[in-house]
Amino acid sequence: MSERDGTRPTITPNDFDIFRPLNWCPGCGNYQMLSAMKAALADLGLAQHEFAIVFGIGQHGNGADFIKVQAFHALHGRALPTATGLALVNPDLRIIVQSGDGDGYGLGMGHFVHSVRRNIDIAYIGHNNQIYGLTTGQASPTSNQGMKTPSTPSGVLEEPVNPLGVALAEGATFVARAFAGDVGHMTWLFKEAISHRGFALVDVFQPCVTFNKINTFKWYRERVYKLEEADYEPDDRTRAFELAESIVHIHNEDPPEASRIPTGIFYRQEGVPTYQDGVPQLADGPLWKRAREPRDVTGVLRAFA
Amino acid sequence: MATTAPPYGREVRIKVAGPAGAGIKASGETLARSFAKAGLNVFDLTEYPSLIKGGHNVYVLRVSADPITSHVDPVDVLVALDQLTVELNASELVDGGALVYDPDDVTLDTLDARLRERICPVPVRLTQIVKDAGGKPIMRNVAALGAVIGHLDFPLRFLSESLHTQFARKAPEIAEQNVAVAAAGHDAAREAGCAFPGRVEPLPDAPEKLLVDGNESVGLGALAAGIGFYAAYPMTPASPLLHFMARYGADAGVVVKHTEDEIAAMNMVVGAAFGGGRTMCASAGGGFALMVEAFGLAGVSESAVVVGVFSRTAPGTGLPTWTEQADLRYVMHAAPGEFPRVILSPGDMTDCFELAWKAFNLADRLQTPVVLLSEQYLQESHASVEPFDVAAVTIDRGKLIPEGDVSRHDGALGCEGRYLRYKLTEDGVSWRALPGVRGASQVVNSYEHDEYGHAEEGAQMRALQEEKRMKKLDLARTLVPPPAYFGPEEADVSVVLFGATKLPVLEARDWLEASGVAVNVMQVVTLWPFPTDEVRAFLGAARRSLVVEGNYSGQLEGLIRQHALLEVDEHLRRYDGRPFSPEQVFGKVLAMVGRGPEEAAAPAPEERTAVQVGEPSGKGADR
Ligand SMILES: Cc1ncc(C[n+]2csc(CCOP(=O)(O)OP(=O)(O)O)c2C)c(N)n1
Ligand code: SF4
Repeated sequence: MSERDGTRPTITPNDFDIFRPLNWCPGCGNYQMLSAMKAALADLGLAQHEFAIVFGIGQHGNGADFIKVQAFHALHGRALPTATGLALVNPDLRIIVQSGDGDGYGLGMGHFVHSVRRNIDIAYIGHNNQIYGLTTGQASPTSNQGMKTPSTPSGVLEEPVNPLGVALAEGATFVARAFAGDVGHMTWLFKEAISHRGFALVDVFQPCVTFNKINTFKWYRERVYKLEEADYEPDDRTRAFELAESIVHIHNEDPPEASRIPTGIFYRQEGVPTYQDGVPQLADGPLWKRAREPRDVTGVLRAFA
Repeated sequence: MATTAPPYGREVRIKVAGPAGAGIKASGETLARSFAKAGLNVFDLTEYPSLIKGGHNVYVLRVSADPITSHVDPVDVLVALDQLTVELNASELVDGGALVYDPDDVTLDTLDARLRERICPVPVRLTQIVKDAGGKPIMRNVAALGAVIGHLDFPLRFLSESLHTQFARKAPEIAEQNVAVAAAGHDAAREAGCAFPGRVEPLPDAPEKLLVDGNESVGLGALAAGIGFYAAYPMTPASPLLHFMARYGADAGVVVKHTEDEIAAMNMVVGAAFGGGRTMCASAGGGFALMVEAFGLAGVSESAVVVGVFSRTAPGTGLPTWTEQADLRYVMHAAPGEFPRVILSPGDMTDCFELAWKAFNLADRLQTPVVLLSEQYLQESHASVEPFDVAAVTIDRGKLIPEGDVSRHDGALGCEGRYLRYKLTEDGVSWRALPGVRGASQVVNSYEHDEYGHAEEGAQMRALQEEKRMKKLDLARTLVPPPAYFGPEEADVSVVLFGATKLPVLEARDWLEASGVAVNVMQVVTLWPFPTDEVRAFLGAARRSLVVEGNYSGQLEGLIRQHALLEVDEHLRRYDGRPFSPEQVFGKVLAMVGRGPEEAAAPAPEERTAVQVGEPSGKGADR
């Protein structure tokens, strides 16, 4: 089959394989996230030229080398503005951002907030391991209060950032949480996020087996539950906010029954105009398809005569 | 023997000053446009503190039938919109100069008796005129402009036209009301009967001129080059370029984004370049400080971006609305590591237009950031210039594969037939494919990388990629605009400069020539890669050499020493926030040739004999 017959070629997760050694630690949650991403892209039937992924800097960002796509491995904390620039010159591309908790909710928090409020059409995947992986285990903005790390030997003093709450407060139209230990559920959430028009957040609890000895696969597995199985409808922003708040005050030593972690879609609102919808200059497709000749500025010059 | 005083040409200098927030800059522009519409040459300079209310704003306009290139110091007509102006500026008037003021709220009694004798008062009841016309208090300025025009015996119709242009977007009644106010001011000034020796006449068959500032000129150049994306965060003196883009660019299809900060602006521009758009951001030095991180990203990722750095004075927040040329070394070395960059430095409005469009071609040809380094003086001053040569604009996107299937583009492929974004090439530039194009799987990377774009730490590949990128400087040398030269081949003094210092120096050069001193000038247009050979040749042939630059430490002079291994004889530097005045350069060069005092003193107020600016029409006062 080919596109010439008007049919789309079948895309499989293996189409995104790259033959390079993957150097994440054995057992790292990033492997499952990578598989889920490839499966989601294949299920959505997205060919390589139809989307691009922008990565931040961190262990998550090294995924740029582990998947065969059009990618931009941007600066620490700056994946969102880089992706936004791309989105604003090429409206035909689906755009995905992969970021870490230090990357996106620490250094990049300002961009996160502004990207949410502009409802730019980007699917944002947060690799939230509640620790800095690449820089060897310092506390991250999502580390639970009291967590001892090399940069916080007597325990984190601040409350953790609540990415879902921040996104909801800024008017996000798709807010979800996944757990890296459940590839099927995560794949579904990725697909929903990528298909959503507008800013779509999927914050993923992604255990770092090397530096976060507390929030392990086991720790999460004992606590996570799925909202779809809990008779929850993601259509009420206030309820979504309360739900998002519910885990902020979890302490690492809280027993599993007292620290339940919801996953799934917290909130979804369709039909809200995206930032791109409001930019009439994008109506004619990608910029590189236009402007091969100098632009005629004689009309504008007249304003200065 | 020539004098040691500047031989000013046929010209009139008008200064309008008053409280901040009174719309002095906008009304000054209206005045400038009126003279430009009559074919005359104008140059203006706005001095204003970084305040919206409660400061002293000054607008200086120079009008001449002869070519002029900058502002000058003496004042022929002073419009005092408040008492403070009288105290601060009246002494700058030339002998016989006119002082336009409203006798209802400004008094000349506070002036020194000798000064009062030297000048010619033109009382015009500005507030009353506005009241009589049923206008708003802000229209006082327009009454004052009318008075200036009336006093100079210049036809009112040009001011009326200019007011119509200014208020075109508002209701026509507002324009009419303004014209009525201007007419009343015009008549009142004529009644005041002050006989100033200057008269301004329109030029017959005036050639069409543009009245533009540096920001507008850069904006026009970028538009002509087909810019697709402009991102910025407001900062003086680059904010007007954001406004220009939002107003004219958006109509022309440019996506314009006022971002959350300069960090986002620069990263967006890099992302937009990845997407294939021609992209630009601009700020002052302080905003560029935030952009530096992503400026380095543009370097390592080989992104074709244009960055405007429009300098103001001093570090930190500095003097936000004043000028300096101290960001040269900073821009040259900004960002960690090393990577090729091009730094272009416009010296006037025409340079702004040309270098802007050329910057986009260079960025695309070299796939590396190109900086337009300018300064507040140029970005915010207006001049009447020949219409820009839009026919000369060309688009060269370099090694870009915008469409088709990358896998069929041999030059871009590795031995296994896979696209190599960072393929090692002779000239250092690899074929660039865009996301959205088939087969273009690639990583554009902020990490050092291999030919595919994958992160790579191997010593050999690191060195090869560094060498690949740096080779672009050799290519750049063959593509960048060469230095510009002014004046005779043989000269008494040879001046090297960059940026808008060109404006006062060229003015002074003409005066020096008229005084019998031959001066030639080398304007370093491309500051990086540094034109070592050209500087050597120029200075090697110099009898006496002088570097004029607006910073404390002599950054350009240092580059000459470092690259051309040459010492210059003398330098003239300024770092008080003000642009060089041509008088200052004139005095310095005279001193170098043993014809004047060592330090150019502020020139004494001139004694004006009658000047006729423009051609006499033979008709009487024409309203
Ligand atoms: C401007 C800047 N500051 C600091 C760093 C160093 N750095 C690299 S990754 C990282 C944190 C990574 O943590 P996170 O984003 O949570 O990603 P993870 O490695 O856990 O996936 C830091 C601080 C950097 N690359 N750039
Ligand atoms: S350090 Fe942590 S995040 Fe990084 S690869 Fe190892 S387990 Fe994964």
